Amino acid sequence: MKVKRKFFEKNDLKYTLMTVLTFVVFLMLWQVLAMNNLIVGEYTPSPSEVLEAFIFKIYNVGPDGNLLITNILTSLQISMSGFVLAVIIGVPLGLLMGWYRLLDRFVRPIFEIIRPIPAVSWIPLMIVWIGVGTEAKAVIIFLTAFIPCVLNSYTGIRQTSQALINVAKVYGASNFYTFLHVGVPSTVPMIFAGMRIALASSWSCLVAAEMLAASAGLGYMINMGRNFGRADVVVLGMIIIGFIGYIFTTVFTVIEKIVVRGGTI
Amino acid sequence: MRIKKEKISTEYKMKYSIWYHVLPFLSIGLLIAVWYLGSSSNPMIFPTPNTVLRRMIELSQNKLSGYTLIGHMGVSLLRVAVSLGLAIIIGVPLGVLIGWSRGVRATIGAVFECIRPIPMLAWIPLMVMWFGIGEKSKIIMIFMAALMPIVVNSYTGIKMISPLYLDVGKMFNASTEWQLLRSIVLPAALPTIFAGIRNATSMALMVVLAAEMIAARAGLGFLINRGMEVFDVSLVMSGMVAIGVTGALVAVLTNFIERKLCPWNRSI
Repeated sequence: MKVKRKFFEKNDLKYTLMTVLTFVVFLMLWQVLAMNNLIVGEYTPSPSEVLEAFIFKIYNVGPDGNLLITNILTSLQISMSGFVLAVIIGVPLGLLMGWYRLLDRFVRPIFEIIRPIPAVSWIPLMIVWIGVGTEAKAVIIFLTAFIPCVLNSYTGIRQTSQALINVAKVYGASNFYTFLHVGVPSTVPMIFAGMRIALASSWSCLVAAEMLAASAGLGYMINMGRNFGRADVVVLGMIIIGFIGYIFTTVFTVIEKIVVRGGTI
Repeated sequence: MRIKKEKISTEYKMKYSIWYHVLPFLSIGLLIAVWYLGSSSNPMIFPTPNTVLRRMIELSQNKLSGYTLIGHMGVSLLRVAVSLGLAIIIGVPLGVLIGWSRGVRATIGAVFECIRPIPMLAWIPLMVMWFGIGEKSKIIMIFMAALMPIVVNSYTGIKMISPLYLDVGKMFNASTEWQLLRSIVLPAALPTIFAGIRNATSMALMVVLAAEMIAARAGLGFLINRGMEVFDVSLVMSGMVAIGVTGALVAVLTNFIERKLCPWNRSI
């Protein structure tokens, strides 16, 4: 066993080296190709240009009229308000639908009608109905994030062990009490999984939501970059969105581990 | 649970079952009623169900920009089908390779992990800059959006296989890696791969809309965008209804194929 583990460690080093080497080659290749405009013409920023754009955007209002930090904060505010709204409404709705059959019968048709319509196609309607302010964007993000919240809490509470429910019933618990003290706690892992999906999709819908008239935000920055032919700003925006999304997921996974370990049976 | 059911009086049972069957219709009725009420105040920005229905019938008889409503649905679906097919052909082998071989995972997989957090919708502006707004650029956009979930799921599916299965395979003298891969690993990973394809389908539907809304001469996204440009909300809503129907049909189709291909997966 010891020999085997040592063998693995040696291999680990080899594979780490391979990964590092890949990135070096990848960046170099990107740089060379971009400098010579080889792949897709002049709109290919090299990594060094993206880095320059990053440093430039920290202190300058650049092509879109905002500092980078303003854009990030605006986007965070919009996506968070949509996400929080989706969790507050979606999770209880999914839980109740999973527990009470009649409510399920009532809400499900409406839910199934709305579900297959992608959030992007709501954009024109939202412009007409709510305008182009923060609310409209938050609503579009809400519509994306809402669905995984409902679906996961629903599926989760339907999987509550019948044995646990029976124990509660034997001890004379009412249906609502059982729901609150048996159903909900046993669903916490699934709720969190749904919230993780919702967080990711609320962040990824951002660019689409900010395609409607906006005056700040990362999606706005990308769109303005495209309008001005500044591919470096576009790629910078993409990388920052990806990076923040990655941090979101990582932080949320840690929270999930802590809560789920402490909160369930 | 069983005891309680026996105690329920027949009268209550009947009442329960009546509600059980009536409520879905009630909710749809309520939705339509609210729609009517909401639209009666300002039919210009919130057309009634009637108007939308009439508009849809009109659209399916008269051509708008060269296609009827069904035609636009077909155009969008064709774009999705071509890109999705390409994504499956390239994505599944790539994902399987990343999951199976550590060398590939350390190289191509690492680059993939790095690109993965960037949402697909964020790629669209760059794709427009690179490839313009023609058919090619749309296919590439949808292809990329569909590729990500397929690769990621194929790779996760392979990685999650219980080592027990592989040991059994080795015990029964699976001589080559290919044999293990073909008769044990792939069938075991198929449900996960299929879940990826399902995600990819809904992703593709979303991106085809976004791509068509940026610039197109046909397709459901074009309809929605045209409706917004000429302030014809009933056209926008017709497009939304059509995309909803398309999405539901595609979901039914993928579920059907999934059941045929991996009937042992009971979770669908």
